[in-house]
Amino acid sequence: MNNVSRIYRNDTIQTHALRDFSLEVNAGEFVAVTGPSGSGKSTFLNVAGLLDNFDEGEYTLDGVSVHGLEDDDLSRLRNEKIGFIFQSYNLIPDYSIFDNVEMPLRYRGFNAVDRKRRVIQALEKVGLASRTNYLPSQLSGGQQQRVAIARALAGEPKILLADEPTGNLDSLMARQVMELLHNLNQEGTTIIMVTHDPDQAREVNRNIQIIDGQISDFKIYAPLQSLESDSADAVKNKEEVDA
Amino acid sequence: MLSYNLKLALQNFKRAPSLYFLVLLTLSIGVGLLCANLALVSSMTGDPIPEKSDKLFHVSMNTWPNDQPNAEPFHILRYREAMKITESDIPSNSAVFYASGVYARDAQSDSLKRFDSSVRATTSGFFALTKAPFAYGNGFAKNSGMEVVIGDQLNQKIFSGENSVGKTLELDGELLTITGVLKPWSLRPLFYHATEGRAFNLTDDVYVPLETAIDLGWSIHARSSSTVSYKGVEFTRDRDVFYLQAWVELEDKTKQQAFQNYLDNYSQTLKDAGEHPLDINNQLRDVNAWLLEQNIVDQKVLAFTLASVLFLCVCVFNASSLLLSRFHSAKFEVGLRRAIGASNKNILNQGLTESVLLGFVAGVVSLFLSWLFLKLSVTFLPDLANIAVLDPKLLLLGMLLALITSVSSALYPLYRANRYTISAELK
Repeated sequence: MNNVSRIYRNDTIQTHALRDFSLEVNAGEFVAVTGPSGSGKSTFLNVAGLLDNFDEGEYTLDGVSVHGLEDDDLSRLRNEKIGFIFQSYNLIPDYSIFDNVEMPLRYRGFNAVDRKRRVIQALEKVGLASRTNYLPSQLSGGQQQRVAIARALAGEPKILLADEPTGNLDSLMARQVMELLHNLNQEGTTIIMVTHDPDQAREVNRNIQIIDGQISDFKIYAPLQSLESDSADAVKNKEEVDA
Repeated sequence: MLSYNLKLALQNFKRAPSLYFLVLLTLSIGVGLLCANLALVSSMTGDPIPEKSDKLFHVSMNTWPNDQPNAEPFHILRYREAMKITESDIPSNSAVFYASGVYARDAQSDSLKRFDSSVRATTSGFFALTKAPFAYGNGFAKNSGMEVVIGDQLNQKIFSGENSVGKTLELDGELLTITGVLKPWSLRPLFYHATEGRAFNLTDDVYVPLETAIDLGWSIHARSSSTVSYKGVEFTRDRDVFYLQAWVELEDKTKQQAFQNYLDNYSQTLKDAGEHPLDINNQLRDVNAWLLEQNIVDQKVLAFTLASVLFLCVCVFNASSLLLSRFHSAKFEVGLRRAIGASNKNILNQGLTESVLLGFVAGVVSLFLSWLFLKLSVTFLPDLANIAVLDPKLLLLGMLLALITSVSSALYPLYRANRYTISAELK
């Protein structure tokens, strides 16, 4: 994204949800996006996921400039290149696990054999291949979120966009989901995750903080590796000073 | 994708059965009521003999012997004019007839049960002119003789539908031999006798040679006028008694003009003889023009049809309102599908598939309701019995109307569904 702005307007007020927002995410990165409520995190994720328009700037997704694309093209990009993971899982309650995971593949035009193969592969990745006929209500929250991850993975997207994926889970389940995301990232999946959890933000190799619709330089949740290296440098510097 | 959309439609029906039942019922009642009315209008305005309705002409003449200023041509003729028409070789077919009635029974039967039967006393050209369909035998060749053709209903009543050609019927005490039996035959409207409120009567039970009926004195069961008194129909041949209707079949405009001249020349001869005080005014009207002239379409039925069109509009608005609430409650799913890659076109197609499926079911239900409405109409208004019919054309129209209304009622809800902000419902 390069100098992207998103402005919401009504009769009396206009709100700059994103202003001159620039960010480049490389393939294979795991980026945590943090920031206070109302800072523009969700707007960023919606724009990044092509769920919302932007008013100014440039956004290039996997080499495709999305500015001015028609609905059909945007839908195809969403389907082929993006996988969404939502805080509330957003599974359709009366569809089986199989049907839920299969949904994006239906709009890609895969035949039944390919769809089945991809659904099973995605469910195997999240460890739920044996539950294809279950309904979401028959699974725990963590399992439901893993189904949602499988749905996001089924189409083999270029990037996963996760909006507080552990927000509705207890710590144990949250841990399992985070481990799953890390595993996926290690296998090469690019992930952008909005989170309020400082520990989760620190786990990933890059985090950015959004304040007032812009990326802030002030790093609250620096990655652990960076913190460790910073503190090692500080000790070394202190030793040098002492010497 | 169609099979997937059908599957989603069925799932949606299962999710909100009460709502979809209400939509179905609303549309079905609207379409059913309109179809029932259209069935009546269609019967009233239909062309009863489309293959040659433009070649069959009703003959009206103003040969009234007394001086009556502004007298219009009469739709009934004297015997002498009627015979003049049958003598002409310009028409390829002609028929002159009057309506009567007799009691009929099988002359060989032990049973004395007689059936009240409508009679068409006609010249032999009637069958070819009207394309009357024969099941057995054929028409009588001459305009006299103790022969008779009977309709399917009477044949069913007396001979249980068997081939009764050659059998003898006793008609008002006279014995006549059956030469032909007609197939079930309905003419809507009954163009050959559309006057005196008979346009929607059934075709006749008995067809008998004109001269025979006159000789037997079978009374006139239709409008007649005369300037003289007479004892019975057998005394009408040489008197100013107007009671015969005439139809001719003219192949083209030239024949039509030639026959018009033939009638006018005849009127001129009457005038020359001092028997025709009025202006010469003979008219030929083809089937549809004649039916239009007779104003056979009931204005109340037309008004009620218009009311049912408006009622259907209200039904569509109601169905649309119900579907709007349904689509509103499905905002989450629409948002989710859009997020994972469904385009507006996909959502539109899904909604349209659902509407078409609903339309098909509504079509079937509405046709059943149409049939029910028509049955009820006939119960309360027996005069409608012969026109309250759902023909295949109307069944198709009903189905089409149901589909159109179903899709129409879903258009606005679908438009709204495609305007939802995708991310608004997804957390």
